[in-house]
Amino acid sequence: MDADSSMLSSSDQDPDLEIGLSLQAAERRERVFQTIKITIVWMILVAIVSFVLLQLNFDPGYIFLHNSFVLQGAATTLGVSLASISIATILALLGALGRLSHNSIAQGISGFYVSVVRGTPLLVQIYLIYLGLPQVGQQLSKLGMVGLGQLFTLSAIQSGILALSLNYGAYMTEIFRAGIQSIGYGQREAAASIGLTPWQTMRRIILPQAVRVIIPDIGNQFIAMQKDSALVSIMGIWEITYRANRLARKDSKFMEMFILAATLYWILTIISSWLENRLERKMAQAYER
Amino acid sequence: MNADPLIQVDHLHKWFGGLHVLKDISFTVQSKEVLVLIGRSGSGKSTLLRCLNFLEEPSSGTITIGNQVVSIEPGRRPDKAIVLAVRLQTGMVFQEFNLFPHMTALENVIEGLVTVKKMPKEQAVSLGERYLKKVGLLEKRDVHPIRLSGGQKQRVAIARALAMEPKVMLFDEPTSALDPELIGEVLDVMKQLALEGTTMIVVTHEMGFASDVSDRIIYIDQGKIIEQGTPEQIFTAPQDERTHAFLEPIRKVHPTE
Repeated sequence: MDADSSMLSSSDQDPDLEIGLSLQAAERRERVFQTIKITIVWMILVAIVSFVLLQLNFDPGYIFLHNSFVLQGAATTLGVSLASISIATILALLGALGRLSHNSIAQGISGFYVSVVRGTPLLVQIYLIYLGLPQVGQQLSKLGMVGLGQLFTLSAIQSGILALSLNYGAYMTEIFRAGIQSIGYGQREAAASIGLTPWQTMRRIILPQAVRVIIPDIGNQFIAMQKDSALVSIMGIWEITYRANRLARKDSKFMEMFILAATLYWILTIISSWLENRLERKMAQAYER
Repeated sequence: MNADPLIQVDHLHKWFGGLHVLKDISFTVQSKEVLVLIGRSGSGKSTLLRCLNFLEEPSSGTITIGNQVVSIEPGRRPDKAIVLAVRLQTGMVFQEFNLFPHMTALENVIEGLVTVKKMPKEQAVSLGERYLKKVGLLEKRDVHPIRLSGGQKQRVAIARALAMEPKVMLFDEPTSALDPELIGEVLDVMKQLALEGTTMIVVTHEMGFASDVSDRIIYIDQGKIIEQGTPEQIFTAPQDERTHAFLEPIRKVHPTE
């Protein structure tokens, strides 16, 4: 954009400038109109859904009265997701380095991890960690290793974060691997030629470039995780879905409460993707002309 | 030959799988000498250059640079520490520049100083600025590579290699990826380095540069050294049929050379 405007201002004498500017303005008008039209379509869709629901004994007053109870769960949803995406990122980085390493032990461990986690349902993984691990802990305690045994008995929140981290770490391993592999071989050669070791090359040259490539994918994973975090409600964690479910069952207001929950997730993901876009643009600035 | 050579290559072989691309290469380079490697594409000249700093691992042979001697036994990988030591004696300039796009020009130049040589940042910056000035790009110190022209990128890449203060500079077709109008500025920097007594080994198709700047030319064909000599000898009286055939079309275009 900067280059464009400076070009325009430097060519003040161009007799065709008027035509160019008016074409540009017309294009911009066109874009604004398009956005307005799409927004109207969205509003009509929301209106239709609302209208239909109101014909079917839907009680918006209930939502109005109880939204703060469910809204309080948003902090938990967000907290669990943020903690999990952070741990998953570290796991994914380690996993990708393992998969790309020439060491057969590292390759074996990371390949096994990715295969097992991607081949099993997240819900089963949650059960294994929350209900399965304490069994191991009890056995260890019986064998006299009480401290170690207690380590295996995780709270619901801990279990949820661990399960989401492990699960997303496996999927993100492949993202990191692809990102690292997308950096051209010439970069490694240039780094080697000035004496960088393979590890220094990874840390200083490859990863900073790879992270930029995969930021959109990490953002998408974070958005998906906010929604998948609804699964931890089965352990009684007081996040959005659990709270909505609780009221829905108490007062038989299922449609009301789950529409509220759905809307909250929707808003969270819209905010996240907006933030991710900004981050992406900020990171691109260093490279832009 | 006068004093001990700075670089000595003995019986170097390189196989890519079953393909024998370098066949028993031996040559020496004196300190301050400018050696140009010429030959058709696929002749092995770039591979030879890349073997000197182990970007390609030689299959067998001995490479001596300064006081570092590396003997490669077939099937055995050379010691990593020795490879690193040899690399630090050589500076490499690539055809495709290979600047680090996430770093400014100055950061590119000081990366090796800070990360490899563990030089304090301030000292590295002043050294980096000196080398950017040498290639005429001090005013671009805070600019990222994407905002540089091809010729400017290659000059920053030269500064990056020079900053490590290697004993020999290796140039792998440094102008082949450049638009014609940008070749001159890179060749000028290389000429300047040659005048200052930098030891250089250059793989190039720029015959003008080869004849004006080099002290010696080696012609390589099918992985073998066919002929070597001063530019006069090679350009005006090539001894071997193949050298003659390779240079014939070029001599027609540039009759004075």
